[in-house]
Amino acid sequence: MKSKYFNIMAIIAVLGLIIGCFGMTDRLIYGHLHTGYGSYMPWGLWVVFYLFFVGLTAGAFLITIMTYVFGVTRLKNVGTLSAFTVLVALMCELIFVSLDLGHFERIYRFIVTPNFSSLMTWFVIFTNLMLIIYLLECFFLIREKLVLWSTENRSGKAFYQLLALGKTEYTADDRDSDHRIVRLLSIISLPAGLLFYGTNGAFFAILQNRPIWNSAMTPLLFILAALLSGGALITFLISVFHSDDEIARVLGRAVFFILVVFLLLEFIQFFVGYKTGLTSIMTSLDMIVNGPYSWTFWVVHLLVGSLIPLFLFATGINSPKAITWACLLIVVTFVSVRFNFLIPDLAVYKLEGLEQTFSHPRLRTHYTPSVNEWLVSVWIISLGILVFISGIRWLPILSSEKGGLNNG
Amino acid sequence: MARILPGEDLLIRMQRDLKRSLAADRSSIKWSMIIDLAKCAGCHACTIGCVAENKLPPGVVYRPVIEEEVGIYPNVRRRFLPRPCMHCQNPPCTKVCPVHATYQNEQGVVVIDYNRCIGCRYCLVACPYSARTSDFGEWYTSDTPNPEGKMVGRAKASESYEAIPATEYGKQWPRRAHDSPVGNARKCHFCLHRVAVGMLPACVTTCVGRATFFGNRNDTQSLISELLGSPRIHRLKEELGTKPSVYYLR
Repeated sequence: MKSKYFNIMAIIAVLGLIIGCFGMTDRLIYGHLHTGYGSYMPWGLWVVFYLFFVGLTAGAFLITIMTYVFGVTRLKNVGTLSAFTVLVALMCELIFVSLDLGHFERIYRFIVTPNFSSLMTWFVIFTNLMLIIYLLECFFLIREKLVLWSTENRSGKAFYQLLALGKTEYTADDRDSDHRIVRLLSIISLPAGLLFYGTNGAFFAILQNRPIWNSAMTPLLFILAALLSGGALITFLISVFHSDDEIARVLGRAVFFILVVFLLLEFIQFFVGYKTGLTSIMTSLDMIVNGPYSWTFWVVHLLVGSLIPLFLFATGINSPKAITWACLLIVVTFVSVRFNFLIPDLAVYKLEGLEQTFSHPRLRTHYTPSVNEWLVSVWIISLGILVFISGIRWLPILSSEKGGLNNG
Repeated sequence: MARILPGEDLLIRMQRDLKRSLAADRSSIKWSMIIDLAKCAGCHACTIGCVAENKLPPGVVYRPVIEEEVGIYPNVRRRFLPRPCMHCQNPPCTKVCPVHATYQNEQGVVVIDYNRCIGCRYCLVACPYSARTSDFGEWYTSDTPNPEGKMVGRAKASESYEAIPATEYGKQWPRRAHDSPVGNARKCHFCLHRVAVGMLPACVTTCVGRATFFGNRNDTQSLISELLGSPRIHRLKEELGTKPSVYYLR
């Protein structure tokens, strides 16, 4: 990564951290007091971002599938970058979801009194499993260079020695062993990943009182959504950091295909939903296409996040620049997909007349994220960006002898 | 209609039923509530009684009364639907709680262990009756000025109500910063702390129309058991299979 770009990104991230500090301080002192959600709209922006980051972790999953299932061995080169991306995305996801808890100091309860009939328990289990898998994968992918750097006379030598766990020699046997471990972890990550994304979907799908979520299609949509946003992210990152046009083209085609399938499933969801004629389903769908935030669906998701990328893919599937832009648009606008999944189904009263019974901002279904929610989100995303670019710069994440540091 | 002594208040009958159940084998108790919609006048006394009894903060409500206008002018009517927690016999909320913080107790009441709840609000999302609310830590008196030496400021005003600890589940819950029940899911618990000492739930005693009935549905002599045999009986969203312990008389 060029120093110039690193500096720009670092300044943006630090600024975000400073601005977001106000929100974080407020969150830590006053808890959920200054948030926009309430009891009839129990989840808000932080859960939207948690879903967003869940999806972004799927990039490495896509790489794994393509490498070990479809045999695209060329993608092995980007394994480290994708594994590291997963780690950063999981970190952001966990911070978002922790801050959304009313009592995050009681997280230990997941170990002490777990309820295995709750899909939230399984979500925690699979999240940690993914974290362990990709932490190990990342470590074994970069271990060779960590050992090498820890023996060289370079700045941060002690840091690299620590990361290399004191190992000073790296033999051919070590290389073979690490490759075997990485391959094994990648194979394990396939079912683990499917369960992870599927569980996230099932988490919502099992709720019988939520008309849109309560569908067998929801877990499938979650897996596809994750592959789409994660695949687009990893394709974008590879285009920017690796400048490997061939890999970008391969992944671009995959993302194009997934986008088409995703839109098709989305269309089916609307078609079937409206055709049922059930008020509960139609009210929720109406909230998406005609509610106060319908612009996020029509403009952000469909126009900017789908139609323009489709056009870019269709006209420039061999152009790395078109692929990069298409993927960037998909990633950035994917927050609106998550928003339109989460909010409309919550924003429908389950008992007619309930909204008029007790007047209080916490007892409404209209939701506007508060300034505090935005500030906390800015802080977490900025932290994610800072950790990511720092890793790219100071760890052997990219296949560069200088470990990504390119003073161009 | 239930057989009652002439002139006897229904509360007296229910009180007697309650004490009989408590004196007998407690493991056989299944508490239930019946609300007679024909008698509900929509006065909201039960809502207020519940708020006062449980020291509920702003935005937390256990028993709202839903008002609905039906018919076309000039043939219009208003109908009222008090909505406590349904204490489902097949509750969707307990299944989704990741840490067993909410569960059905032996007497069929869905309760929350405030000191175990992590505040994920998954149970709020899962409840088909929107019967759960989250305590976001608000105070009625937070905007009240607190001038020193003046008559009644914030501190003094809160002392008379919301600074008094709630006594839910037989414990004292002083309202302090992040401490439970702030940050928790909260809901109607049939005033178990009152029931345990032989008192009827606050919503039952405050109902001016005597439209709310409470008792042990396994006690065949009880008023509630008699009312369960009424052809007017029904439950909300029966099709979901949640089997509420709260019944309504049409």
